[in-house]
Amino acid sequence: MTETIELALKTLEAQLNQPLETALEACARCGICAEACHYYRAEPKVEHIPAYRAEQLRSVYRHEHDLLSRLFPIWTRARKLDEPMLANLAEIAFSQCTLCRRCTVNCPLGVDTPLMMRAIRAMATASGTAPEILVMLADAAIEKGKDPSFYKDMFLEQIKEMEEQLRDVTGDPNATIPVGKQGAKILYVPLAGAHTILPPAVIFNAAKEDWTLSIFEASNYGVFLADVNRARQVAKRIVDEANRLDVKEIVIAECGHAYASYRWDVPNWFAGQFDFKVRSLIEVMADYIAEGKIKVDPTAIPEAVTYHDSCNLARNGGLIEEPRFVLKNVVSDFREMSPNKAEAICCGGGGGLVALAEYAERRLTAGKPKADQIKNTGAHLVVAACENCRLQIGDLNEQYKLNIRTTALTDLVVRAMRLPKPLPGNETEHLFEGEKVAVEK
Amino acid sequence: MLIAQLLALAGLIAGLFGIYLRYAETKRRVLPADRSPIKGNVSHGIAYAFTTGMLPWAKESTRIHMIAYLRGIGFHIGIFTAIGAVIISPFWEYLPPVLSWILFGVLTLGAFLGTAGGVMRIVEHNLRGLSLPDDHFAVWLTTLFITVTGLAVVNEAFLIPMYVVAAMTFVYVPLGKIRHCLYFFFSRTFFGKFFGRRAVFPHGVETP
Repeated sequence: MTETIELALKTLEAQLNQPLETALEACARCGICAEACHYYRAEPKVEHIPAYRAEQLRSVYRHEHDLLSRLFPIWTRARKLDEPMLANLAEIAFSQCTLCRRCTVNCPLGVDTPLMMRAIRAMATASGTAPEILVMLADAAIEKGKDPSFYKDMFLEQIKEMEEQLRDVTGDPNATIPVGKQGAKILYVPLAGAHTILPPAVIFNAAKEDWTLSIFEASNYGVFLADVNRARQVAKRIVDEANRLDVKEIVIAECGHAYASYRWDVPNWFAGQFDFKVRSLIEVMADYIAEGKIKVDPTAIPEAVTYHDSCNLARNGGLIEEPRFVLKNVVSDFREMSPNKAEAICCGGGGGLVALAEYAERRLTAGKPKADQIKNTGAHLVVAACENCRLQIGDLNEQYKLNIRTTALTDLVVRAMRLPKPLPGNETEHLFEGEKVAVEK
Repeated sequence: MLIAQLLALAGLIAGLFGIYLRYAETKRRVLPADRSPIKGNVSHGIAYAFTTGMLPWAKESTRIHMIAYLRGIGFHIGIFTAIGAVIISPFWEYLPPVLSWILFGVLTLGAFLGTAGGVMRIVEHNLRGLSLPDDHFAVWLTTLFITVTGLAVVNEAFLIPMYVVAAMTFVYVPLGKIRHCLYFFFSRTFFGKFFGRRAVFPHGVETP
């Protein structure tokens, strides 16, 4: 047995807890999960049935753990893990499953196939067969956390420039983007890029929120690798920052995997409850609207709008009604995709797929069911509260000529607010002194 | 007859013991504690997983494959009826004739649905691709079990074959795929805990 295989099997053993063993044992191979998977819908073949994918890991598990399989391996197709098999497993887990859990929801037994795909990802990561780019991105984030002073000055300079833009568009000379504010109520964690800082800053200032901006970004590539050690190190930067600043809550930018991991996984990685709570910016905006802290015009966006449920936010995160509440307050023609909410179809960009250029073609093919769903709504503006989903839907737009635009929920809220000037990059339409003004780029 | 009955009893004990070993093996493994703050309701999630979440219209997959799902449900009712029938077989003579015929009817339907399942595994492309020898064997063994039990209800000549097949079936339960009958309970419980905690299922139940 090579060292690679030994590491992979050791990682499988280390993960073998009650839920994983159950997922490995429960499947009756009824195949009813087939259409639940967007890969199968796009290309109906046996290899794209979730149960078939899971069988590839089960054959390894049985070889190690099942009496009948050890005596008669042919009876259960049990196989000893070798390097080509490991490479195949890694390929399946990283390129043919977005961990969306739609198959689990549709399984009569509730088999958690994504849990098995995560187990494979962890095996591949531990044995050095995971996609290199994901490993590099996760490690870069960890390094950044070790010495933030290296880039902090540059970051603060950029924030200063953004603050000028903020004052310009809000007309408020006191509008700020605080960084490192001790004792602030909210620590807002953006993604990389001004587009996830400036619009939320407009909203926080309008709501007169006591907030501060994190110097780190929310995305966590350790999650895609299913490497809890790396994921914990990436998350630790923000947990430490929140503790250091003594904030009451962490608010995560519109990002599916970041929200799901900070809201549902981070307390487990750190083995305890925190003094702060974790919310999504979506929940915060919904509360501001409900409490009248920000004023939005429900007629501000008259065009037909549809909403894509990110799997990590909705099915895996429980954020189902909150984005709809926000949308119904800022758009006048909201059209649901079908199916939606917990039954929503994955766009195909999740699970880190958007970052893996080598699987781009496969990702776009698998996104066809989502493209069809969007087309069927007749809407040309698609809201996705997840950066990876937006990137994928943008690519689907080009691939399938959908003639749509994608937007974040935050951007729509800002468009529905009454601002003297539009935000950079969002100049198509805004309100000025209560009058709708179309400003073309 | 007595030997056949003892054989079935031994098979039942062996099967139950095997299932217990499987149960103990799984329970021995770590059950990760979930420390994330609850949004929904875990108990409601588990209750949903075992009740309304199992209804044929609760899931897109079972709405699409309603007939296949109902076939599976009917087949499983047949299996559990057959197990019950074998256990109470020494007392069949005390059953009112109408109950015997109902028993025969349920078992006949179960046998028919089992046969349909076995044939589907052979002729349907996806199912054939997914199926292991274990799957084919399990579906035909259980179908045979239901069939001979049904025949034994109306014809004493099938009593000995019923006990023999019952013994084989019981012994095979913990060894092969039939053990999913145990993991069904684990799996639906974890499903309910996961989605209940996150207020995904049942939809609309949230912790104040």
